[in-house]
Amino acid sequence: MTATSFSAPAPVARRVRAYFAPVNRATQTPVLFDPSQSATFNLDAPPAPWIDLGWIENFTRRSASIAAQLSFEFLSWTKLTMALATGSQHMNLLAPATGATAAADGAKAAPAVTVQSGSTASAIQLSSADIARFAAGCMIAIDADYTGQTGFVGSPVSGAYLRQPVSDADYIRRVTFNVALVLGVSSTSLILAQPLPGGAPAAGAKLQAITGFVDREGGSFYQEWSALFVLQGSQGDRIFFHYPRLQSMAGAEEDAIPLDSRHKSGLSRVLLKGQFLALPVTDPLDSERILCYRSFKPAAYALI
Amino acid sequence: MQNAKDSFYMALRTRLVAINPARTILIRGAVRPGILVEEAEAPFAQLPNDAYVLRWQALGVDTDLASTMDGIECEILYSTCGTQVFGGLDRGRMLAAMDHEVVAMLQPYHTPKVNYSVQPAATMQTQVFWDEPAFTAITVQRDRLSRSARVTIYSYQEQGEA
Repeated sequence: MTATSFSAPAPVARRVRAYFAPVNRATQTPVLFDPSQSATFNLDAPPAPWIDLGWIENFTRRSASIAAQLSFEFLSWTKLTMALATGSQHMNLLAPATGATAAADGAKAAPAVTVQSGSTASAIQLSSADIARFAAGCMIAIDADYTGQTGFVGSPVSGAYLRQPVSDADYIRRVTFNVALVLGVSSTSLILAQPLPGGAPAAGAKLQAITGFVDREGGSFYQEWSALFVLQGSQGDRIFFHYPRLQSMAGAEEDAIPLDSRHKSGLSRVLLKGQFLALPVTDPLDSERILCYRSFKPAAYALI
Repeated sequence: MQNAKDSFYMALRTRLVAINPARTILIRGAVRPGILVEEAEAPFAQLPNDAYVLRWQALGVDTDLASTMDGIECEILYSTCGTQVFGGLDRGRMLAAMDHEVVAMLQPYHTPKVNYSVQPAATMQTQVFWDEPAFTAITVQRDRLSRSARVTIYSYQEQGEA
């Protein structure tokens, strides 16, 4: 039996979907996307360790032989989208201790509680005394105590770079990407809305409530992530743009889009605007310096 | 383009059954899912309430592509007088429920193109696809609330297809 084919015109796509994965900053090791193995993945369930950041708007690529830049706007405000769009260090606002002195990036925090063994990425075990401090709807950060280390801080995602030690024992939890929303509380555990990006908490990890996020104009830390952008064509075809190393290149910027184009001074949606610089990696295939891989999965039965 | 029209209708009908199996219509003695194609039924003096009527409208063709692309506008009309149980006072709620169903039926915004003129129906190589709907304002006619949603259905002509 012989099937028929068709001549596929240029892909037609509605939107661009963004996925990011942490670069190991200490070793400068990016996360690689292999389109020969993963081109058909479910867009709602990307292969690990890629994190789905949802649909983006105004995706623009500018390529040159030695540098490439891209910009786009995130359609939601989350820990990760804020961090990517800020261009600098991004911090969690730890719930303050009673009577703490005011500080622009969050006052001295209420004491952390120790995560008990048996915790998973989605269910955090606490002692019965500690669990009474938390309720459904609260937000938490989980990570180790800061013990005076310098260099890149945070694992598997580096949230900051310290040139000299700081005196805040909660510092890693201020910059960690291991944050989550609590949806339920049992007698021994917190049930999280989504798994922690870093997986099950390591032994000795501690937990603190957070109230939101803060980032700063200025500073010397630049976010660096591996990025994957997917355009889903109307015929099942897909275009992938894979940037192994993408670094934020601009400070925090927002774009206000009126909800009703006939009423421009009315309600507006505030989008996070991200601008990035692609950094080169060496392709082990032939030792060429590469900024971006563009791959294409044709539609079924499309002439190629 | 008939295959694209048929495929779109059948996709919406299948999705409606999953979304709200209770929305049915009695036509020519048969109970069917509450969606129909106006041009494939006897003329109506008045469109039926509490069901969706697909009315095919403007057509565009792009012959400059590797495969000719058709774009045909479909108007999805629906109306309600509410339920007798509530004396029609729930007609706003009923229309809101139908608005929601239209949005749900249209997602995902594509479906395989199928040739329903042969037995058994034959799945073709391409997808029929469309964009987000544009809803009109509500029309009030005494106790009857009506609205329509317009959506353009695109498809590529395949070999041997009219």
